[in-house]
Amino acid sequence: MGGLQKKKFERGSATNYITRNRARKKLQLSLPDFRRLCILKGIYPHEPKHKKKVNKGSTAPRTFYLLKDIRFLLHEPIVGKFREYKIFVRKLKKAYGKTEWSAVERLRENKPTYKLDHIIKERYPTFIDALRDIDDALCMCFLFSTFARTGKCHVQTIQLCKRLTVEWMNYVITSRSLRKVFLSIKGIYYQAEVMGQLITWVVPYQFSHDHPVDVDYRVMATFTELYTTLLGFVNFRLYNSLNLVYPPKKLSALSASLARVVSSAEEEEAQLDHFPTEGEDMEKMEAREKELKQQEAQKKLFEGLKFYLNREVPRESLAFIIRCFGGQVSWDKSVCIGSTYEMTDETITHHIIDRPSVDKQYINRYYIQPQWVYDCVNAKVLLPVEDYFLGVTLPPHLSPFVEEKEGDYVPPEKLKIMALQRGEKTGNEQEEEEEEEEEEEEEEEQEEEEEDDNGDEEDDEEEVAEEKNLKKMEEQRSQGKVIFKVTPGKLKVENKARLEQEEKAEEKRLAIMMMKKKEKYLYDKIMFGKKRKVREANKLAAKRKAHDDAEKAKKKKARK
Amino acid sequence: MTPHFRRISESNSTGSQKRACVFSNMAAARRLKRVAVSQPGFLTLNPKVGPTDLVSSRRKRVNKNKKKNWNKYSDVQDVEEFLEDVRHQERTTGKGKSSRPLRIDLILQHDSRVAPPKDVLAYQKPNAKKLRRAAERAEKLAAKGVVPRSKKRLLNRPVVDRTSKKTETEANNNPERDFYDIWGQETKDLGEPWYLQQTRKKLVKRPEKLNEKPSVLPAVEVIAPGGSYNPDFFSHQELLREAHEVEVKKKKVEDKIERQLAYNKEDTATEETILREQVEGLVEESEEEEEKEDAPKEDGEEVAVGAIAVADKKTERQRKREKAEKMKEQQRLAERRQTEQQQQLFQLRSIKTSIKQQEEKTQVRQKRRKAKEEAQKAQPRRLGKLKFQPQDMEVQLSDELAGSLRQLKPEGSVLMDRFKSLQKRNLIEPRERAKFKRRLKVKYVEKRAFKEIS
Repeated sequence: MGGLQKKKFERGSATNYITRNRARKKLQLSLPDFRRLCILKGIYPHEPKHKKKVNKGSTAPRTFYLLKDIRFLLHEPIVGKFREYKIFVRKLKKAYGKTEWSAVERLRENKPTYKLDHIIKERYPTFIDALRDIDDALCMCFLFSTFARTGKCHVQTIQLCKRLTVEWMNYVITSRSLRKVFLSIKGIYYQAEVMGQLITWVVPYQFSHDHPVDVDYRVMATFTELYTTLLGFVNFRLYNSLNLVYPPKKLSALSASLARVVSSAEEEEAQLDHFPTEGEDMEKMEAREKELKQQEAQKKLFEGLKFYLNREVPRESLAFIIRCFGGQVSWDKSVCIGSTYEMTDETITHHIIDRPSVDKQYINRYYIQPQWVYDCVNAKVLLPVEDYFLGVTLPPHLSPFVEEKEGDYVPPEKLKIMALQRGEKTGNEQEEEEEEEEEEEEEEEQEEEEEDDNGDEEDDEEEVAEEKNLKKMEEQRSQGKVIFKVTPGKLKVENKARLEQEEKAEEKRLAIMMMKKKEKYLYDKIMFGKKRKVREANKLAAKRKAHDDAEKAKKKKARK
Repeated sequence: MTPHFRRISESNSTGSQKRACVFSNMAAARRLKRVAVSQPGFLTLNPKVGPTDLVSSRRKRVNKNKKKNWNKYSDVQDVEEFLEDVRHQERTTGKGKSSRPLRIDLILQHDSRVAPPKDVLAYQKPNAKKLRRAAERAEKLAAKGVVPRSKKRLLNRPVVDRTSKKTETEANNNPERDFYDIWGQETKDLGEPWYLQQTRKKLVKRPEKLNEKPSVLPAVEVIAPGGSYNPDFFSHQELLREAHEVEVKKKKVEDKIERQLAYNKEDTATEETILREQVEGLVEESEEEEEKEDAPKEDGEEVAVGAIAVADKKTERQRKREKAEKMKEQQRLAERRQTEQQQQLFQLRSIKTSIKQQEEKTQVRQKRRKAKEEAQKAQPRRLGKLKFQPQDMEVQLSDELAGSLRQLKPEGSVLMDRFKSLQKRNLIEPRERAKFKRRLKVKYVEKRAFKEIS
């Protein structure tokens, strides 16, 4: 026949992909160099949808890259630098072999190096793009800064990572952007809000070091190379945005504050201008204002408090957090440089210790365990110190990254915290009276008023109030009598809240009566689903209560 | 290799080496004897023989042709004395014994007594005056302080900075490296775009597709609330349950393999069964049984044979009949179709319902497919030879939970976690540590001595 027959695998997806080895040969690089180039440029392998077509009929597992990506790589200037480096290594080996030391010196002095600035500018054309990818960079830099100085990776890389992470932490301290902290068994998770972006990163504990064998250190080192450059530029930009000098000096201790370019006095609190955007209700604006005010209040959580860290607590983490919220912190002089005041200072308000007991006690300071600081940050309010004294079993450390939806199980500790956030101390008082009553051998079940999350205030849904009422009525019916302990101050607050709720409920009932049949049918279905969740949550709560009661009974028996 | 195995090719010591070591031992013994004899107060066994007689007075035979022995065994003391004497004489007196003029001096003397003419050109210096004047001028200027142009140029040369190492400061991981505002600068077009593109000064534009993230997963996944160092009871139980389920799945897979390999213990071959199997067909009793079995089989075959009959050729009549039947059939079908169409009017409602059901089915299937696609997006892609192996869940059992931050023992490593996260997000392909493979096989040989033992 002629030559116009269509042959297989000559067009379509088979020509869009190229295998890794082919790509490597096209670029004339060795495999580790090819990998490094792909990581630096951000070119990743792809899995084609129809593997058989691309692989020319076989199903062997191969790594495929897009042909257009590899063609783009051909124009990269650092490919030339990689080749130069290969030649440099060859010449150096020869000089070493012939023991020509002057040649070795000369070659070393003219070692080929490359810069990654143009790659950063190409991959992240705007600053916000860079901020979106900074999570990964931060995790890597923090991880590398905790490495020991063995030969596994360059010591200079570790030093550079240390410097960049300290700069980042100082920026977060100065801008008061930290929002959440979580102590897990793996490491410490932080979340900060920088320029509207939520940035989460994880820091390993200082005292954990097992270097697993399966990890490819070269790949991690290449990623770190890229990320240190990125983080450096981001730091520069962030410091400029706050009018601070970059690079800052004398930072390693995290206790000094940063110098400013323009030495200004204390920042004035900017008054929020009212800019009503189109189509926004007054309620939503008020809610936003409230949120901002709360944030402002949160930023000054530890203001005026003076902390002292004992030797056995994680110093860097605690110093970072305390300073983020306006507090002053110091530690023993022999631990690290930068301690500002001694343990004997009389004005210290909180002394953080992790031992079972302490020998010398100063009167006008609290001796607390480190979890207090973390829990206060997550609760955005100063928690009562009594639960965190030495030797006391700590309340569980809850994760701030969990968002409980309506009707889900909320642990009682979180409810207490939420109550505290609203300025009421119902939880504490009720518990104390509970104990008293039990000692007098009065068996009365008290119900804590389970109130909904804070988040509901911001959702302007009508169904919320209705649901609250339903829940309350259900519980009251099922658990029998409820005793309210009312103090004079509380009466007023309750009355107002109750009146509002009643009004809302009335409105809601009217609206429900006015609904059409179809809509009512849908509404009933939704409520049924929600009630199911509520019932399950109640079941869990009952279980927890049973567990608590069992523990109390045990304690009693032990006492007897 | 264990120490008692030896390599095959080990050379045995040669005869000459053995002899050499024998001789050196003898020399050592003789030396020792000589030293002992020369000690004061040495007494011999036989009182008549003295210590000097013991040491053999036979002189050692030395080969004076060897370079080593020239200095050792030749006595040049008399010659040395004479030469020293001559030198001393020459030092003290002028020339010593022979006072002849040197030959070189004789050669250099003139042949005739006429003196050679004076060579004027040897004393002439071209441009002597000019050079003298230039030197005086330079002196005067130098006295004034003016530096000549060439010296000025030498002084104005740029200073080469040999102290700082350029490569170290420019390296990427230099801890003191400085950063600048990379996003703030506006790009200045230094030249025409086409020129810049041709000379490769402008970088090629990055294709849009590369800016998409390869995975929808977030960069940092926070651990579940049960992973806190001091967790809430229920969330910890939840986490334990998840870990338990993973283990259960693993165990299921193992059990499945066990079940597939399992066999009934009674089916194992005992001696009896083996014997029976071997003896089958050899004993006469079994022949009769075989005949009985064959008979019923044959009847069956005959019946089967009868059914296969050869077909005769069709006649004209048969063909006509078939055609008529076909026509009738077609007519019937056409009528049926007509009546169906007419009746479909009355079946509209049921038709509608059936259509609706089909549509619903397709919609459900579409939704399911979409959900599957979304779930697939979150999964790690298969990017190479190895499949992605997720990490073991990091969870601490109830008795491992620490009471305080000081007693906390961290579980799992962040390094491994980051590495796996990079693989999960399709940034790198899953990789394993390279194993050490030998190209040629190693042969093990036992030492002869050990062969006797084992």
